[in-house]
Amino acid sequence: MKNFIKRLTSKNGWVLFVWLAALAAVWEIGATVIGATVRNHPEYILPHLWQIAASVVQPVSDTQTIFGLVMVNAWATLSRALVGFLIGMAAGFVLALLMSLSRAVEKIAFPYLMLIQMIPILGMAPIVLSLTGDIGVSRIVIAAILTFYPVATNMLAGFRSVSREKHELMYSYAANTFVKYVKMMLPSALPYMFTGLKIAAPMAVTASILVDTLQGGVGLGCLLSQSLKHNTSIYAFWEIVFISAALGILSAKLIGLIESLTVGGRLSALSGRLIRSAGKEKRYEKQAEKTEA
Amino acid sequence: MTDEYIIDINHASKVFNNQKKEVTALSDVSLRIRKGEFISLLGPSGCGKTTLLRMIADLIKPSSGSVTVDGQTPREARLARKYGMVFQSPVLYEWRTIIRNVELPLEIIKLGREERRECAMKMLELVGLRDFADHYPSQLSGGMQQRVGIARALALNPQILLMDEPFSALDEFTREKLHEDLLSIWRRTNKTIVFVTHNISESVYLSDRVCVLSPHPGRLSAVVDVDLPRPRTAEMRSSPELASLVERVRGSFEGI
Repeated sequence: MKNFIKRLTSKNGWVLFVWLAALAAVWEIGATVIGATVRNHPEYILPHLWQIAASVVQPVSDTQTIFGLVMVNAWATLSRALVGFLIGMAAGFVLALLMSLSRAVEKIAFPYLMLIQMIPILGMAPIVLSLTGDIGVSRIVIAAILTFYPVATNMLAGFRSVSREKHELMYSYAANTFVKYVKMMLPSALPYMFTGLKIAAPMAVTASILVDTLQGGVGLGCLLSQSLKHNTSIYAFWEIVFISAALGILSAKLIGLIESLTVGGRLSALSGRLIRSAGKEKRYEKQAEKTEA
Repeated sequence: MTDEYIIDINHASKVFNNQKKEVTALSDVSLRIRKGEFISLLGPSGCGKTTLLRMIADLIKPSSGSVTVDGQTPREARLARKYGMVFQSPVLYEWRTIIRNVELPLEIIKLGREERRECAMKMLELVGLRDFADHYPSQLSGGMQQRVGIARALALNPQILLMDEPFSALDEFTREKLHEDLLSIWRRTNKTIVFVTHNISESVYLSDRVCVLSPHPGRLSAVVDVDLPRPRTAEMRSSPELASLVERVRGSFEGI
């Protein structure tokens, strides 16, 4: 079913449009019903989409619009999430490399890797916050930890996916470890790393927003809880919901774009399917005749 | 006389230890392979034919006995890159174009860019894939992919070509086509080819000699000389001479 939807949306933009329109329609019906039944502040439960859109230009103070406020807070959170993401990516890459180079490192590191993954982020965040004492640093650390795991495990899976015969081929050419990694292991593991990054990116965004809620001050999460407590306009909350959803999707899409730019040419190759169009077969036969002659 | 033989297998045995149980994969095999010879290692699965090939390739060390490749140990021969290997699957790097797959061994020996390209092009020409240099492996049929594997194995111009059931995954028509191609390449390059297969008529049609290996334990039960004239032609496939040789080979298996 999922594939079916994906196929339709990738081939026909209008399907995506219909989906969005249907979603908006359901939302608006809900908002209208709530608007008619709830007497006080129905927008606290579910505002109309146009109300949210209009709130973008509404002022929250003399100098700032709601949207401006959201953006300031978004920058505080997301710039840290990005730094953490990059650190986690580098650390995950290095650990996967070490684990694939040394069985001993793998045996020692792997249980810790699993352990980190098993601790819920809600439990880890206060510990990190009390250890670092700074919300900005905490955001970076949490985003890094969350990115680290999928990158490390996916890359390790990528290294392991290299077939025995490919290893033997390198062996038969008496290639050293460096050559083996540059020419075989890393190119094989790259698509796996991107898979890990695609999982990690929205998680890093979510986690850093979550970390914000632990402490007051600046940050998307702070603004989110303030807005829900009606310390500031409720529309800040709705704008954050839309912006973080968009950012989550955008971050994954951005990585997909980088992926297609770097390893794009072989994405079809990786699916392992042989393209055997009639035209190709004909060329193949022609080619074969040529060699025979 | 000694330099006439390029591979010398002297009372080689291989015993694997599988969970305290000893399995004799290969028992006391002696075989000398001549320079420029096309020799097949033929047998059912479990006869140790691949084990024997892997011993020559320095992928397995014999438990006892010795293997000499061009006067050296298999390890020395491998480090000197004296053999090229063709596997059952093409083992192409799917992120590299065809030409860059063939260039891979040339990159490893740090050959210059232009020389690399020139040499790889020659190899592709040899296997008839010149026009497909810039394609990716996934765009080629199985038979074409296997030919790229052969071109790559020949790129460093090794004396010996080790082939481990290279055509067993191909359909009958493609396989016969590749037989012709391989024989033509062999004729033009004077390589020594060690060809592992479980297909009796394939081994007879291609080889100068067929080494018949029997299983449990893996052993060399016969070496059959194939006295069919060269070059071999497609008509010979249905000739009575070939049929009688196939029968002789079939008769020399033991304990199946």
